[in-house]
Amino acid sequence: MESISRISSLLETARDLTLEAARDASNVRRAPSKELPSGQLKKLLDSRTERDVLEGLRRVVTMSYRQPPSQTLPFFSHVIKNVASPSLQVKKLVYIYLLQHAEHEPDTALLSINTIQKSLTDTNPQLRALALRVMSSIRVPVISQIVSLGIKRGSGDMSPYVRRAAALAIPKCYRLDPNTEPQLLEYLSTLLGDKQYFVTGAAVASFLELCPDRLDLIHPHYRSLIRKLSDMDEWGQLATLRLMMVYGRKCFPRRTRKVKRAAGTANTNSKPAKSTRGFYESESESEEEEMEQDMEEITVLDPDLELLLKNCQSLLQSRNAAVVIAVARTYLYLGTPEYLTQAIGPLVSLLRSAGDIQHIALYNIVQVCLTHPEPFVKYYTHFLVRSTDAPHIWRLKLELLTLIFPHAQLRLQSLILAELSHFSHSGSLDPALVKESVRAIGRCSQSPATSPHTSARCLKLLLKHIGSADTHLVAESLEVIRHLIQRDPNAHRTTVVRLAKHLDAATSPQARASIIWLVGEFAGIDPENNIAADVLRILVQGFADEAEPAKLQIVLLAAKVYVHHLTANPPPEPPKVEEPKPSPSPLDNFQEEQGGFRDEHLESSPQITEPQQQEKPHIIEALYNYVLLLVRYDTSYDLRDRARVYKALLATTTSTQLASLLLLAPKPVPHIPSPSETRRGYVLGSASLVIGDEGGVGGLRGYEDLPRWVKEGEEPDPALRDESASTSSSTYVSKYESARNMSAADRLDAAAGGSSRMTPDSMLSPRSLNDMGGNVGMGGGGGHASKEKQKEKTLDDWLAEEEKDSQSEEETDSEEGETEEESEYETDSEDEDEGEGDKLIK
Amino acid sequence: MSAIEALYLFDEHNTPLLEHTYIGRPPASSTLLPLYLAHPNPRPSLIYLPNTNPPTLLYSIVQDQLLFLCPCSSDTEPLQVLEFLHRVADVLEDFLGPPLLASKIEGNYDVVAQLLNEMVDGGIIANTEPNALRDVVEAPNFMKSLLGGVGLPSSTPSSLTPSVTTFSMAGRPSPRLGPTSATQTSSPVPWRRANVRHTSNEMYVDIVETLEVTLSPSGRPLSAIANGTIAFTAKVSGIPDLILQLGCAGGIHNAISLPVFHPCVRLNRWKERPGELSFVPPDGRFVLAGYEVDLLGSAALDSFSASSTAKSQLKLNVPATVSVHTSLGSTGSDFEVRLQLNPHFTGKSSSQSNTAAIGKGGLGRGTGFASASTGTTGSPAIEEMIVNIPLPASVKNVADLRVVRGTGDTGYAPGDRSIEWRISSREISTIMAQDRGGGIGATATLRGTVIGQDDDSSDALDAGGPVILTYDYDDDQAAQPSLLPSMPKQHSTDAGAKRVKANKVLMPSCATVSFSVKGWLPSGIRVESLNVDQKRSKGLGSGVTPYKGVKYLCVSRRGVECRC
Repeated sequence: MESISRISSLLETARDLTLEAARDASNVRRAPSKELPSGQLKKLLDSRTERDVLEGLRRVVTMSYRQPPSQTLPFFSHVIKNVASPSLQVKKLVYIYLLQHAEHEPDTALLSINTIQKSLTDTNPQLRALALRVMSSIRVPVISQIVSLGIKRGSGDMSPYVRRAAALAIPKCYRLDPNTEPQLLEYLSTLLGDKQYFVTGAAVASFLELCPDRLDLIHPHYRSLIRKLSDMDEWGQLATLRLMMVYGRKCFPRRTRKVKRAAGTANTNSKPAKSTRGFYESESESEEEEMEQDMEEITVLDPDLELLLKNCQSLLQSRNAAVVIAVARTYLYLGTPEYLTQAIGPLVSLLRSAGDIQHIALYNIVQVCLTHPEPFVKYYTHFLVRSTDAPHIWRLKLELLTLIFPHAQLRLQSLILAELSHFSHSGSLDPALVKESVRAIGRCSQSPATSPHTSARCLKLLLKHIGSADTHLVAESLEVIRHLIQRDPNAHRTTVVRLAKHLDAATSPQARASIIWLVGEFAGIDPENNIAADVLRILVQGFADEAEPAKLQIVLLAAKVYVHHLTANPPPEPPKVEEPKPSPSPLDNFQEEQGGFRDEHLESSPQITEPQQQEKPHIIEALYNYVLLLVRYDTSYDLRDRARVYKALLATTTSTQLASLLLLAPKPVPHIPSPSETRRGYVLGSASLVIGDEGGVGGLRGYEDLPRWVKEGEEPDPALRDESASTSSSTYVSKYESARNMSAADRLDAAAGGSSRMTPDSMLSPRSLNDMGGNVGMGGGGGHASKEKQKEKTLDDWLAEEEKDSQSEEETDSEEGETEEESEYETDSEDEDEGEGDKLIK
Repeated sequence: MSAIEALYLFDEHNTPLLEHTYIGRPPASSTLLPLYLAHPNPRPSLIYLPNTNPPTLLYSIVQDQLLFLCPCSSDTEPLQVLEFLHRVADVLEDFLGPPLLASKIEGNYDVVAQLLNEMVDGGIIANTEPNALRDVVEAPNFMKSLLGGVGLPSSTPSSLTPSVTTFSMAGRPSPRLGPTSATQTSSPVPWRRANVRHTSNEMYVDIVETLEVTLSPSGRPLSAIANGTIAFTAKVSGIPDLILQLGCAGGIHNAISLPVFHPCVRLNRWKERPGELSFVPPDGRFVLAGYEVDLLGSAALDSFSASSTAKSQLKLNVPATVSVHTSLGSTGSDFEVRLQLNPHFTGKSSSQSNTAAIGKGGLGRGTGFASASTGTTGSPAIEEMIVNIPLPASVKNVADLRVVRGTGDTGYAPGDRSIEWRISSREISTIMAQDRGGGIGATATLRGTVIGQDDDSSDALDAGGPVILTYDYDDDQAAQPSLLPSMPKQHSTDAGAKRVKANKVLMPSCATVSFSVKGWLPSGIRVESLNVDQKRSKGLGSGVTPYKGVKYLCVSRRGVECRC
């Protein structure tokens, strides 16, 4: 939601003028506003009339904002004197001063504590709250016990305002003196059960500050917290949702249940598969297979967890973007895909807020989209790049477009492609945008879900760019084309030929060099019909006019062609027999398609005609020698050096093998993942997600990874959350005690869970990457030891076993589906653990 | 873990205004500001500074030319901090009066200090609701300072009970009877302060819709979204319970999508009866709801591929669209921008009444009184029309820039990255008047010629390669390799085409239109009624009917974009 000040600026046309005027005025205004000499100021502060004191305080506070503390410190005692003033207004300003300066003069500050303490019993609740807040904020460790007492009194106060101040004071008191923790926990537990929603919100925030691991304190209040969730203020909601994410993971084991797939969703092709399988598989296995086909794994939500998910729903309409993200996070990590789908729209709606929020929201949207792209498809209009978008915005928008591309219907796909090609060729406004959109086209065509037809279209788009006058575009397009070709060389034989044709169109040396390199790379494929030698012949004619990068590649091409020639035709014996015979059918197609090209050259260059095939060795050798000769007299050192290397390499027949190793080494297949894949492991809504690995592997300081799901059987007793037990006890303290007693056994569990919590949640989380290796080893050992307890395997065991023997997976057919799912995303992998536990019970 | 460690405020010249530390020892503003400014504009809202001690996440927003910075030493939820910064700006504006100016902050440090202390407690965001803050912090009273403390009743909302009001007017607030007297209980509604009194009860609804339209080169709309915000101003005594009924031609639930609401809105009510907003408003000005409207409807994608472009184009009811035609002229260095004005916006009104409406609109707040239909709603007038044509960086100058048809001022200086074409509302009405009979709306045209760096260099670039582009290759065509021997012959004939190709890089790729229209909303949403639920309201005297006002505004801030 837009903030009111931004809307006001739209509504009030005069506003801009005022701002302009103010800016002009501020040049003049810079002169320091009238400041009184310190003597006069002290007199004001010492004055008996309240009005003067107030005036003096105002000036001191103003000074404290504009000048270093050394300027305002001399007034310390004069100001502190007024702390006993009956006026609330004066008190407030004194407090403000006190908070800013107490650290510099702790001893004098202590003098005021007594008066502040008295205010704790004032009749005015706001004064009580204020006193409590100030007292806890004074950073003088000596007073920790007094503060603790104050909090105790405050947490039992009539006014919710005071109780909230008490809640917020708890972490401050802990920071003063960690020894007060036991008392503070007691107060906190009281406050967590408060009836006023805005007290509980603050209490939860304090809880997260003080002791986020003491989930046992939460159990008795869980349901009441959830119920208050929608009434809390936004900041309380944020704190609660953050707490609940951890709580949910640690207290509700992931349970899955197999349900018969609805008739409509059962895919038709599963039925024939079933029937055929029966023939060659044992009966029991086919039975299980059948089960597997008809069954669908459904997450069974704990009723308490469901309560949380349901209560979150209303928060999706929150005006606070952070709350919307927090709900989406809850649904992503705790809920089911159905819940997450509800959050998609609200997530997208964040894009209409201010640019700064839009930027962060986009990171989060991309993060969700990486795992669940389908529901985003219908919001594609929001992801179209606008000319006014800042670079960090369009970068993410382009990524979103490529992410939804494979899941879009055909029309949308063509729209997205049109969009991307628009920015790639006419988006000359920003070279980076051109680059990024060309890359995006590449990603679109690479995506596994893209049909070959669409891939071909993408490639066609890219090929069109080669003739462009925009060098950025050409270079980037070729880069992407190269990636595409390298990923699947066999499918792109014709593409290389096409590229070679485009040599005429390509003017930029880099582009030409790229193409020539590609031609050289594919010189070995399909020797019967290779164009490399032909291309070389044509290029050699214009060699002198080429730029250096292109020349380098021409020489390299010549060397490669020659090596191929040498290996194909070892000098002593006739070569023809050893040549691999390409399968006829693709070859025919290929020839048909490219016939025109070949024919042209056959006409133009009569020396390379079929009858002369026998003398081809001579031509290639001649070409090669000609190139070397040309290069020998080139002006470039580099070029001449290289030529010498090739010459030496290829001079003797014995080194041919070495030369082919050098020149024809297989190149690694480049992989261009979506740029945000590197951030995939970070928790939604965290700053680490926005910063990425720049903040260090494992996230920024204070980054907390998602806790792993608690194992079935290790979760705390659900009865702990029953309110009947706690409400029966009348006072807060005894309520806390009861919670305490009940959770004794549970705390053991928590301790056990605490140790297991250290193991990585999933492979994906960056933090866990560090200790990944060790755990896999451990898990593997455990898996070995308890072979019979296979059903209780953890994710780590799975990983380890997958490496060791894939046999065990086939033994139990029911597990097959699960391993497939494992790779999908982390929550799924957790499903399995629980699913297995479930089966064990079954 | 604490979210907010400090808050730094800078004015429009980046001179520090305020430095408030909440917790810990964050880097000082003097170290952070240069690091922030080191980032090229536009700066991201979250910057990671690994070289400060401790490594800092720096959040920033710019509001009304003031820069708000907030350093964080550990991972927090970024949106939480950014939302907080926006709230700080809102609260300061609420207390100091809009717009937020550096001088106002400098003049009221005591109030600002109180506010900042109330909003965050020990690094935890505690209270950002302006109304709740008014319960604890007294707003500076400008009337009071103006009148030198003479006991005159003030129109500024004040949280005081009447008896206290007279007191507070007498100079400084008196002791023991500050804004939070002992007897006062905090308000039962968290977002509304207690004991609201107004002598004149008024309620205003302002609906602002921001257009975001993208047109494909053929003029077909790719996306058209109107982002709506309902701003509400409540100056009503007691605790009023209001019902705002929104209506729309095609049914409100079809129009509005993805709404967000102020916490005061009863969500269930909206779900049961879409279009009905039932709420107890905070006192003062606030954003009641936000929504968006897809002006193309759900069938947009189907029409995209359908060949009948004209139909879909007509459906989009936008005051003005623009189209850019590039690569014109013999060398392909000319371009033409055609502005198409929608006839709907002249319609019945003559140019004379049109200008009258503008004058009325200029009054701002005073226009839309007494419910929906007023003079401006009938004949919406386009104001502040600016066509913006961004140019590639390689364009060095634009020669011969002239408005061929219609009027308007063009702004361009050699080296600028964009051309600005301003058309005042008066000029619009004259353009409209020319084309009244046709009913297809009026057009205005701007022509220009782009000039790249220097032509020699581009020639040299072309001459560099041994093979000069001669054919426009299409991969579906049969291969047509240009053979070297035949090239020189073709060279001369293709020189023109080559130039066109070279100039293509210099062509603008889009144009955007900015404008504002008062009294008209692209979505067609309107306020059907705004009523006080007398039964549920408290404190508002019976028989008192507050004064109501409705205002509609459609704004496009470079929101209508056409590509080419």
